[in-house]
Amino acid sequence: MLRSKGRILAPLVVFLAPAVAVAGGPYLSATTSATWQDNVTNAPSGDGIRSSFDLDAGGAATWIHTVDFSTLLVTSLSADAEVCTSYSGLDCVALGPQLCLRHKLGLGALAPNLYAGLAGQWVGFNDPERGKFEGDLIFGYSQRASDSVQFLLDGKLGSYDARDVVFSGNFASLVASVNLDLDETWRLRVIGGWRVGDLVANYTAQQSPYGWEPIDSDAFNLPGAWHYVRTFNEPFVAWRVSERTWSYGAAISPAIGRHSSLTLQFEHFTSVGLDRYDNNVVSLSFTRQF
Amino acid sequence: MRRVTTLILLAASASALRAAGTVRVVTKDPTGLAVPDAVAYVVALDAPVPVQPPAEPVAITQHDQMFDPYVTPVVVGTSVVFPNRDNVQHHVYSVSPAKKFEIPLYKGESTAAIVFDHPGPVTLGCNIHDWMVAYVFVLSTPYFAKTGADGAADITGLPPGRYRLEVWHPRLAGKVGRELTIAESGDTTQVVSVTLRPDRRIRRAPDGGSSDYK
Repeated sequence: MLRSKGRILAPLVVFLAPAVAVAGGPYLSATTSATWQDNVTNAPSGDGIRSSFDLDAGGAATWIHTVDFSTLLVTSLSADAEVCTSYSGLDCVALGPQLCLRHKLGLGALAPNLYAGLAGQWVGFNDPERGKFEGDLIFGYSQRASDSVQFLLDGKLGSYDARDVVFSGNFASLVASVNLDLDETWRLRVIGGWRVGDLVANYTAQQSPYGWEPIDSDAFNLPGAWHYVRTFNEPFVAWRVSERTWSYGAAISPAIGRHSSLTLQFEHFTSVGLDRYDNNVVSLSFTRQF
Repeated sequence: MRRVTTLILLAASASALRAAGTVRVVTKDPTGLAVPDAVAYVVALDAPVPVQPPAEPVAITQHDQMFDPYVTPVVVGTSVVFPNRDNVQHHVYSVSPAKKFEIPLYKGESTAAIVFDHPGPVTLGCNIHDWMVAYVFVLSTPYFAKTGADGAADITGLPPGRYRLEVWHPRLAGKVGRELTIAESGDTTQVVSVTLRPDRRIRRAPDGGSSDYK
């Protein structure tokens, strides 16, 4: 297992080392956030739905290297710590490098931007079976239509490898967003997203002569791996399911001076496939660039 | 003989100094507020006046991811350098018809001075930091000044004659100009009303939030 994790991160390290050595930086940023979600268990409607409140703090160091007039090689190292006030098993820390080529098609604020790169991340949970290594291929596009309107498209092809088959999987996602700056302070954002791939869904469980089983008899029809988990302070079974997720949301973000912003964001996620899971997520975050 | 010549030259110089007039231009928006960073300039109507670019280059500094100054008036042929005092790299460029150029990512002193050799407004930007913007206004007259916080600018050293006074500002809506005559004695004050478009600049503050679904 460790060998496979090394295979994910080793190419990143090899690429990062020389790039960081000659680049400008580090440019530092920090984010802290509070997040409430009404279905942290990712359960279908019924008695398995549990909410949670999370506190998160993280930072990133970024180096920028010029490739040519319009292309940058951006490398970054980010670290993040999250406390789930509802379920301590979901407390986690994350650490990961990113290597990204950014290319601007022309000069000026209205010229479109493209990027593509690799990202790696190690996430350690208080609930050790959820700990994982993730490797992503990231890509995206952004363009301003004017000084106040910007379109963004962010894509990701990801694979994560945990110590447990339930918590491992693959996915692809696309997030489209539009930023509308009402003035230099207030920004509105509209978000729409699509994701296909593996998820972890949790069903309330009961003990039978054969061990822990989901109470929901329909859950037995779900294909895929599942097992009992202690994460939620009561009996649950976690299921690896493959679903399509659609999301939409909006955010309002006032700037606080030139280097900071506050963002209040709402997103609704609906995952459909063999079962359906709905999740509403509200977050308040503060971001500071140094 | 030499003393007489000196006296004649001194007298001529004093006469010339007396003849050099000053136009104080006071810019106000329709609500009566002062308009800083406007370039007031006069163009001689009787005969063209040649311009002499300064020997030393003019500096437009990048500091705290902003250009300083925001507006820089120069005469045709002026060299401008763009020292970067930030700890981040900048990619200075212009796509304006009066001067197209770019200086790829750099820190510290810019590699070469840029010569602004055609009259007109030049919009500067940084291709990394989209919110960074500044303006060079290139003039073909030596008589110009930039308004300060009080909206006033003094155009000095004007020989007697007929001129056209014009005002330029990055957000100016419509053209502002009038003819005036400088007499041998006395200065003049011109109050100019200018209408500005809204000040829309790209937001600088970082993005927050994320939409990562696990």
